Amino acid sequence: MSSSTPSSSAGGVGSADSAAPRRNSKRPKYSKFTQQELPACKPILTPRWVISAFMLVSIVFIPIGVVSLFASRDVVEIIDRYETACVPDGYKNDKVTFIQSNLTKQCNRTLTVKKRMKKPIYVYYQLDNFYQNHRRYVKSRSDSQLKENSSWDDVSSCKPEDTSNGQPIVPCGLIAWSLFNDTYNFSLNDQQLAVNKKGISWKSDRDSKFGKDVFPKNFQNGTLKGGATLNPSIPLSEQEDLIVWMRTAALPTFRKLYGKIEQDLQPNDQIHVTLDNNYNTYSFNGKKKLVLSTTSWLGGKNDFLGIAYLTVGGLCFFLALSFTVVYLVKPRRLGDPSYLSWNRNPGGH
Amino acid sequence: MIYVRESHVEKMGKTQDVSYEILNVLEFNSTRKRQSVVCRYPDGRLVLYCKGADTVIYERLGTGNDDLNKVTRVHLEQFGSAGLRTLCLAYRDLAPDLYESWNEKFITAKSSLRDREKRLDEVAELIEKELILIGATAIEDKLQEGVPNCIQTLSRAGIKIWVLTGDKIETAINIAYACNLLNNEMKQFIISSETDAIREVEERGDQTEIARFMKEEVKKQLKQFLDEAPQYFCSPSGPKLALVIDGKCLMYALEPSLRIMLLTLSLNCSSVVCCRVSPLQKAQVTSLVKKGARKITLSIGDGANDVSMIQAAHIGIGISGLEGMQAVMASDFAIAQFRFLEDLLLVHGRWSYIRLCKVVMYFFYKNLAFTLTQFWFTFGTGFSGQRFYDDWFQSLYNVIFTALPVVIVGLFDQDISSSLSKKYPELYKEGVRNMFFNRRIVAIWACFAVYQSLVFFYFVSLSSSTSRDSDGKMFGLWDVSTMAFTCVVVTVNLRLLMMCNSITRWHYISVGGSIIVWFVFIFVYSGIMTRFDRNDNMFWVIYVLMSTSYFYVTLLLVPVAALLGDFLYLGVQRWFFPYDYQIVQESHKDDADSINTPDSEETKEHLTPDEARSNAISQLPKEVSKHSGFAFDSPGYESFFATQFGKYVPPKAWDVARRASMKSKSKPK
Repeated sequence: MSSSTPSSSAGGVGSADSAAPRRNSKRPKYSKFTQQELPACKPILTPRWVISAFMLVSIVFIPIGVVSLFASRDVVEIIDRYETACVPDGYKNDKVTFIQSNLTKQCNRTLTVKKRMKKPIYVYYQLDNFYQNHRRYVKSRSDSQLKENSSWDDVSSCKPEDTSNGQPIVPCGLIAWSLFNDTYNFSLNDQQLAVNKKGISWKSDRDSKFGKDVFPKNFQNGTLKGGATLNPSIPLSEQEDLIVWMRTAALPTFRKLYGKIEQDLQPNDQIHVTLDNNYNTYSFNGKKKLVLSTTSWLGGKNDFLGIAYLTVGGLCFFLALSFTVVYLVKPRRLGDPSYLSWNRNPGGH
Repeated sequence: MIYVRESHVEKMGKTQDVSYEILNVLEFNSTRKRQSVVCRYPDGRLVLYCKGADTVIYERLGTGNDDLNKVTRVHLEQFGSAGLRTLCLAYRDLAPDLYESWNEKFITAKSSLRDREKRLDEVAELIEKELILIGATAIEDKLQEGVPNCIQTLSRAGIKIWVLTGDKIETAINIAYACNLLNNEMKQFIISSETDAIREVEERGDQTEIARFMKEEVKKQLKQFLDEAPQYFCSPSGPKLALVIDGKCLMYALEPSLRIMLLTLSLNCSSVVCCRVSPLQKAQVTSLVKKGARKITLSIGDGANDVSMIQAAHIGIGISGLEGMQAVMASDFAIAQFRFLEDLLLVHGRWSYIRLCKVVMYFFYKNLAFTLTQFWFTFGTGFSGQRFYDDWFQSLYNVIFTALPVVIVGLFDQDISSSLSKKYPELYKEGVRNMFFNRRIVAIWACFAVYQSLVFFYFVSLSSSTSRDSDGKMFGLWDVSTMAFTCVVVTVNLRLLMMCNSITRWHYISVGGSIIVWFVFIFVYSGIMTRFDRNDNMFWVIYVLMSTSYFYVTLLLVPVAALLGDFLYLGVQRWFFPYDYQIVQESHKDDADSINTPDSEETKEHLTPDEARSNAISQLPKEVSKHSGFAFDSPGYESFFATQFGKYVPPKAWDVARRASMKSKSKPK
């Protein structure tokens, strides 16, 4: 059994023997670090500090919350759920059969613009109950294959969509296989609204993750088609729909960018949408929605941040006030020795 | 052959070296409590000299010389009451043939391979009898400096102090008075084996009868005291209780039938003094308390006879010093002086407890907050087991991003300074009652960890459901998780700062450093893409994230919202339900910057002249050997022998006066 801290405890508190001139004293060299005497700030959470902190938070947060909420309120959003409406009457009870048949999937919808929407207006498709964050789905891709042509046969992580008819699929994996394939065409007052589908994906993805020399091959060649087909003569770095789709979403309800409309829309405009209801979400009771949205400096129409800031700020303000009231009503003198437990009930051993 | 310088037989004032031949040395051991030497005078006379504790010597005295024995016994009691340590010296003339026959037995015993100790003891018994008493010595064995204060402070801290010593009962009681363990207001229960009744039975010599009688006596006394004790205990202002028990009685009291009574009685007393205990009994008493009362025991001792006690206790402390290093080598902690025990317990022990509680609680909290976010995520993944965070984030969370700050807290956190810790020893009871690591505290931390994890997950994921920025693009899974992880790291590190009592610059460095390391890591991780990566999920994530205003708005909101609950709790707890140490902190918060080099600075101002003098004296260079060999401060000898060595020692004032008075007497009238 070795003695663990003899030197620091023995040498630490000034021992009265061994005078300074003795050079062979066993006392270790003094340093603030080893003697636990580092200069320290000793914060004490007095009521003053508590109230000030709460007031500060409320003063900072409430304006930010107001600004965020205004930013969110400025965004105009039109959401149109169409997957049930776009099924013809005869097939309302058997939507899966409908979607897997060869019938025409074209559907016409009308959107009304409530407030002025400034360009660019972003078109999204929103899916519900689609678990892009499922473990086996997320891992079913091959990033090396997407990047460079030389790894075209690196499909091991893509099961079950790795090979088809003995040949590796490019791009492989469940994510690519389930590419969304509804299309939308917009017209306003019988004039076609152009939808810009360039630049909808992340620039870093286009530049580095999806190769310029990788072309789709053997794609959707199997018995079960999961989604869209790809043009084999366009390299992956320009297949922006695929790139957008491959950035898997965090939650089962998500939206993805479809394109941009570079035109202002006025209130009471009637937008006619001709959409192809190709994608099968009926097998798993998923919802499909078409979203037109403007953006602000903070992003899309999301009140959450604004409300959260206001709530936290308001709560802090309320707490600051109640603390002040309590402090005035039931004060306790700081450092009052009568609160010490051995003074409160003496005689207890 | 040894040479003893004695005063010359014939010539006055001169010395001669007389040679004595040492024939046998019978070593000291704690069972025999004596040691002897057989020597041959130059004229051939064989003498056995024996030195030991008074009880064992008196047992072995021969008849005759009863007057001297009685007078010496009286002297011994006086010495004991004065707190001196006593020894008796005795001798015996040996006839040559008796010696020869004994010597053979001695040599056989000494060279035996088995049970050598026992055989030597037996052989020693044969010759150590019929002794003639020479006299008694008494040595002042001063208490170390600061011992009474230390003991008083420790008993204020709620630590019960027992004294286990090998000294006589009077010496032990005297020492206990000097240490403030006993005082006249206490009700003392004394169980001694030196009562007349017991002595009477002992004189009869029948071992079994003595044993039976003593056991009865001890049992009777224990019972009587145990019945008496409650009445003092009931009134809170009544006198405190003290128990004094003898080694012989302890032998019977530790037997299974009586030990429960002994334990109950001694736990009710505020101090217990056991005298005449052997090392084995010291260990037995320690185990009695350790196992019987289930309390934490600490033993402190400085000699080889304390080793078994030091090892028997939960914590053993050895005082390194003049008695050698056996106690130190057997101990868990070694200190240089007894009074350092105060520092060890009240300062370092208390700080260690607080630090340990904080570190353990923080570890559980930070991992709980981190892991529960994953748990909430699983509800949204169809329970498929997809991880929310990237693998590297998870692996490095505990290693780099949150490791160093908690180590710094564990090293440096001090709730109050060391001098205040000693000024308020009652704060030690917080540790005894385990107030900082009980179920309630753990539950509170767990609740806040759950709350924080909910904030981390839902605030981040709900606020990222729409476009990330004005460019309309959307966040993916890995972007959201990086945002959440950043918030976790920042919040968890800031929480650490909130729970510190003292924040040094190392805290700032480590907390700031951890957060900066996280950013450096994610910049590097997001920036490079190697062919060995299994996937490139994290590529360029953080750069895109930090180019949005969403990142900064969320990074301000989430830690504040998460820490709101903790902050509120801390404020409410300190205001309405303060701990004792918090009150002490508040009452001393305006003290001058408390980087006092402890003790030495403080005490310099408050010394009485006596203390100042002894302080100054202790600063002088020490003599070569503390044991000068002269127990008596006798006139003449000291300076006489000193002059022989060539050292001049000034004569004492009273000695000069005495000689002057003698000279005047011898003047012819």
